Amino acid sequence: MRGRLRPWLEERLPLADVIETLRHKTVPHHRYSVWYYFGGMTLFLFGIQVGTGALLLLYYRPSAAEAYESVQFIMTRVPFGWLIRSIHAWSANLMVACAFAHLFSVLFLHAYRRPRELTWVSGMILLLLTLAFGFTGYLLPWNEVSFFATRVGTDIAATVPAAGDFIVRFMRGGKDVTGATLTRLFGFHVAILPAVATILIGLHLLLIQRHGMSLPPSVEQRAAKDPGAIRTMPFLPHFLLRDLFAWTAVLALLAALSTFYPWELGTKANLFAPAPAGIRPEWYFLWGFQTLKYLPPTVAGINGEFLAVAAMGVGAAAALVLPFVAGHTPRSRRIIVWLGLFALSFMAAMTWLALTGSAP
Amino acid sequence: MKPFLTATGIVITFLFGSRHVKAQGGIEAATGAFKDDVHAAAGLTCNSCHSRSAQGGERYAAIPRTAIAPLCARCHSDAAYMRGFDPRVRVDQFAQYVTSTHGKRMTAGEVRVATCSDCHAAHGIKRAGDPRSPVAPVNVATTCGRCHGDATRMTPFGRDAAIPRDWSASVHAVALLKRGDTSAPTCNSCHGSHGAMPPGVENVANVCAQCHLREAELFRASPKKQIFDAIGQAECLACHSNHRIESPADTWIGLKEGAVCAQCHDETVGGVQTIRDVRQQLDRLSAAVAAADAVLTRAERAGMLVDEGRQALRDARDQRLQSRVLVHAFAIKPFAEMATQGVTAARRAQDTGDAAMRDAQVRRRGLAVATLLVLAFLVTLGLKIRRLPDVHRE
Repeated sequence: MRGRLRPWLEERLPLADVIETLRHKTVPHHRYSVWYYFGGMTLFLFGIQVGTGALLLLYYRPSAAEAYESVQFIMTRVPFGWLIRSIHAWSANLMVACAFAHLFSVLFLHAYRRPRELTWVSGMILLLLTLAFGFTGYLLPWNEVSFFATRVGTDIAATVPAAGDFIVRFMRGGKDVTGATLTRLFGFHVAILPAVATILIGLHLLLIQRHGMSLPPSVEQRAAKDPGAIRTMPFLPHFLLRDLFAWTAVLALLAALSTFYPWELGTKANLFAPAPAGIRPEWYFLWGFQTLKYLPPTVAGINGEFLAVAAMGVGAAAALVLPFVAGHTPRSRRIIVWLGLFALSFMAAMTWLALTGSAP
Repeated sequence: MKPFLTATGIVITFLFGSRHVKAQGGIEAATGAFKDDVHAAAGLTCNSCHSRSAQGGERYAAIPRTAIAPLCARCHSDAAYMRGFDPRVRVDQFAQYVTSTHGKRMTAGEVRVATCSDCHAAHGIKRAGDPRSPVAPVNVATTCGRCHGDATRMTPFGRDAAIPRDWSASVHAVALLKRGDTSAPTCNSCHGSHGAMPPGVENVANVCAQCHLREAELFRASPKKQIFDAIGQAECLACHSNHRIESPADTWIGLKEGAVCAQCHDETVGGVQTIRDVRQQLDRLSAAVAAADAVLTRAERAGMLVDEGRQALRDARDQRLQSRVLVHAFAIKPFAEMATQGVTAARRAQDTGDAAMRDAQVRRRGLAVATLLVLAFLVTLGLKIRRLPDVHRE
């Protein structure tokens, strides 16, 4: 069977070319090689998201009247439904963590340099899409915490001058967070975002395949002096098996987390109830949430929240165009590293302050 | 006698009245307080109540205490006048006041009893619904307690000054002051506001029944009603007391020391078996609820969703509450039916919790097996990676 299937496939698909290309593909092997695995890990977790998300779709009902009950049904009645939902939720969180680790490793190893500018830009947009996946998925169980967190989160957009009201209405599908918001965010979560993400992932992978793995400047300098000093490993099977090892370990971690800490469902959202104490977004938005708390209502006559949102927007835009504006001198690279360390420390400190319940 | 009391009252009123303005820090304090007064908002001025003092100048004469209520009633009993400010406002306050103990004594010239300004203040009067008002629900007990909690003031009248303190320790005070439940009763809920007077023995049950209607209905239909009427026993007070009303406990039912039944019943009096049965079934129901709650809590800590069990437990708790209410029927049958339903619901909750715990065990065993398989795969993969030819130099 196998003997006949392979020629049949090869006659119709360029399988041999693909395998041949992968056989000749090599990956640099140096002291920073471990960071190469975070991109693949993020992709693996995205695959888990797609798989478990598709299974959840079989039972989930995207309406205010049925969303909570359908998730409850998945958790209690559907065989292994609890496991699928918990893996979906836990892998989403691990995916965000991996995406951030990938971003900062690329930044600190200066892998965004020419000719990989577009790889960096597509990666940055993918990170923003990952956060958008988190934001849109958070409301879907329609529980109390997610309902009020979404209300607070979408309220922030209202501070944008002129367009604020339009952005809020666009995100909510109306004036307030209602069943229309749920349906809208569901549409984004399962159709629009996956479609855009799939295209960008394809482009990102194509660019990586085109340019190969980037060498950090220090390794590059060593290679310039002694070309034989750089070791490489074949992508197939060396790198792929190592990837597989890491993916399997993460899968075991996901199973353990889902068994011992199944993702909570909470209580159903009540549109007319007052907001309970302790409402806060997912951990990866906490740093922004905490930053807003420290800002006064107005700064020099300008809305404090708007200033913070604008500063974050400028920061994201600057990160997006980084490869085009960053210099190529060692001094420029040092500045980039310090800026990256500052951003990372600021985010970590704010997250820690939010988790410990610190208030200004 | 009456003219003598009136004359004494006028003299004392003059003295008290003179102090009155001083006590408030003079005209400035009164004028300042009046700015935030509901009457000022309605367009009234000092002249609306006060006339110039005999000394002339800017000073206004203090109003004699016996004249305060009639002065307030000039407007507050005039429906046509008051309608202009609030079409739904009551105008029977003075009519009620003169029927109250305060009003009767004040009319008789006893100026140490309360009149309008003692409860509502003189110059900073707020609407009763305003939380700053001394007669707002959360402030009523403090306002009444200023006099009724003062032994010096109460002793001459032969009144117990411990009553406000007793109420403060009651379940009603906790509900009102700690939980902010403004529907919980305070002094005027049972005694009335303007027509304040202690309810008589025959009326206590009616007063309690304003809120505890179901208990009152059950009691009225019970055999206890006739017995209590015959011996002149105030109904609710016999077991629950009056001001220091504590949260009832199941231990109140029984024949041992501390049980309220034991106040009248012992082994020689009828009803002993009913008391024992009621107590036994309440204990059984509480034990079933506690056991179900424990297993559901364990299951939740293990990450299991036990909403159905929680619903059954809520049913059991509701039925326990109803069983406790049915104690007031002083008959075993309706009580036993409800208690049995409660035990059944609690067992259903426990079954859900037990099933969830079994499921949690199955999950953990499954995880252990899966982890072993994954570890075996990882070891194999690790060995395979180690056996791969070494990386090479470019």
